Amino acid sequence: MVTPTNIDDWIKNNLFHVIPMAIAVINQNFEIVFANKTFEKMFGRWEKKKCHVVYKNKDVHCVDCKGVKVFKDGVARVSEELGYNKQDRITHYLQHTIPVIDENGDIPFLVEMSLDITETAQIRKEYQLLFDQVPCSILLIDRNFRIVKTNQKVENTFGNIIGQNCYVALKGYDTECQECTSGQTFRDGKMHSGNHVWKTRSGKRREFLVSTVPLRHEDGHFDLVMEVAIDISQTLKLEDDLKIANSFMESLIATSIDGIIAVDMGEEVTIFNQAARKIFQIEDHEKITKEKLASMLPKNFLAQVSAGLGHVYLPETEVITMEGGKIPVRLAGVQIQIKGKQSGMAISIQNLSEIRRLEHEKLEAERLAAVGQTVAGLAHGVKNLITGLEGGMYMLNSGIEKGKTDRIGQGMEMLNRNIHRVSTFVQEFLSFSKGRKIKAENCDPVQTADEVVTMYSAKANESGIKLLHEYDSYIAPACIDSESMHECLTNLVGNAIDACRMSDNKNGKNVLLKTFEKDNAIIYEVIDDGCGMDYEIKNRVFTNFFTTKGLGGTGLGLLITRKIIQEHGGKIELESEPGKGTTFRITLPRNRLPVPTCTEES
Amino acid sequence: MSNKKKILVVDDEQDVLIYLTALFQDNGYEVITAKDGVEGFDLAKKEKPDLITLDITMPDQSGVRTYRYYKGNDELKEIPVIIITAIGDSMRSFLKKLSGFPEPEGFMNKPIDEKTLLKMVSDLLGKS
Repeated sequence: MVTPTNIDDWIKNNLFHVIPMAIAVINQNFEIVFANKTFEKMFGRWEKKKCHVVYKNKDVHCVDCKGVKVFKDGVARVSEELGYNKQDRITHYLQHTIPVIDENGDIPFLVEMSLDITETAQIRKEYQLLFDQVPCSILLIDRNFRIVKTNQKVENTFGNIIGQNCYVALKGYDTECQECTSGQTFRDGKMHSGNHVWKTRSGKRREFLVSTVPLRHEDGHFDLVMEVAIDISQTLKLEDDLKIANSFMESLIATSIDGIIAVDMGEEVTIFNQAARKIFQIEDHEKITKEKLASMLPKNFLAQVSAGLGHVYLPETEVITMEGGKIPVRLAGVQIQIKGKQSGMAISIQNLSEIRRLEHEKLEAERLAAVGQTVAGLAHGVKNLITGLEGGMYMLNSGIEKGKTDRIGQGMEMLNRNIHRVSTFVQEFLSFSKGRKIKAENCDPVQTADEVVTMYSAKANESGIKLLHEYDSYIAPACIDSESMHECLTNLVGNAIDACRMSDNKNGKNVLLKTFEKDNAIIYEVIDDGCGMDYEIKNRVFTNFFTTKGLGGTGLGLLITRKIIQEHGGKIELESEPGKGTTFRITLPRNRLPVPTCTEES
Repeated sequence: MSNKKKILVVDDEQDVLIYLTALFQDNGYEVITAKDGVEGFDLAKKEKPDLITLDITMPDQSGVRTYRYYKGNDELKEIPVIIITAIGDSMRSFLKKLSGFPEPEGFMNKPIDEKTLLKMVSDLLGKS
């Protein structure tokens, strides 16, 4: 037990051993003559051993022995040493070598006090490694803007620039920079950062983001500033590229003729461009919710796009505007995926109203042109009728003058016949020019054709003509005015039968009606091997009140047929060769067919 | 043979045949008729008429082709032809452009003006 009275004894006997430093006393033969417990713990057994054996496991003197020097000049020394501890591990220690000087001034002993700094040295090494290897440039700058220290990264990039002024070494200036980040820190002691363009030793200009911090002493004052610089040239370039790409995309979206909409995975509509606003008739400032958007688009459209169907394309559909109106559009929706994960949807909308209007105008123009031709043809028809009437009048008048009763009767007959023709003509012409509104609905194109063939089979049979209907096994229903189409096919099949009957050789004649679909168009072909038509007739069949059937025809059948086909957005063509036969072909592209008259959404 | 001039009327309309037959007969001509171009061609070769009136829109052979037959035939090409048609002046200019064939001697639009037609006929027959 240590008390104040025996503390002196304790210091004499115990302190030496518990002091946390390894202490050894060495004689002039470099033998350890005395050592404390701490020394023994660190280096192991020491009695009668030479110091170099104990410290360094070496049998010979150290090359740079501090003991030799201290024995010689009596000046104490401090040195960092590497040796081996008692477990034979390398030990880093700080050694104070102090001479013990007697009254004669001789130095019989040295006291060596060693502090284990293995750990500290390790930490220091790690820091140096960190300092050199961090992926940024680090410089220490003094108040004269001289570079005091740099890390390896700086040396690699700029060469050895220690000792130079930073503005010279990094920028090639003669004087300090106008906006000096280190200067700011020197002035106010705070951390600062700024962008600087530095020239590398290969002459390249790179943009750096520089942060400066004061390296303070314990008392708070500082003479050095640490600059940490990161090369952001690549980042800035990417940023610029991104900005350009972004603004390009933004202006593209803003000025797009088609509506462009984007939604995220939540409830947000993130893009709704001007064209989309125009289509949906939404005010500029008004915000659109996803729910509202879904209600304006075709039912389940968003759900379909979202359901992972990828690209959903509706070439012809309708959207509903804010005012509740319907607009014909073409819709495309696509999932936006980032790294395989769905992050939203983009929708593109093309307004088809204008195209539809032009199509309608074109059909109307075609109809008017047909009417115009018809009117021109009407003159021809009327002239023939007048000739007939005049003939009747002549017969009547001259019969009365000459008192020829049979001529009077003939004249009356001619007048009656031609008056009857006038009324038939007028009726048919009226029905043609009035433009009966077609009543389109989904129906089977084959069935319509089949009805016509059935209707004519008796008549064909009577004339010894083989009438057949050939058709594709399945044609999807199409939106057609079946009654009008029936009339067209009746005209064409009737003409074909007449052509066979007018043929020189009336035996074994054929009329074939073919119904099929090709390139998304429904096609009817009426093929006969009858008398055929020569060039002049072919050129006139659609243009006038043209008939080759004398009093049997009004010359309106093919005109009406063409008009109906045009109203279905289709076309009619003919191929014919005198003596060989005629083929009429009706082509009805599905995408031009009328919309159902009674709006039944299927 | 009578010394009456003989006119061949070719028209597909029975009413026109009756009318023109009566008109020409009443004015002292002999009239023969055909209801289409082929029949008319055969008849013309057989009967050698002094004048032919020809309707231009007819079945089997169009009037234009019939006209070319007539004018391309050595026996018939000297016979004057009056085209009677309701098609109008476009046919007249079309016929004028036909290469290798002379223009028709007369051209008459329907409806027929009796006086003009009779004058045209008498002028053409007076010449021959």
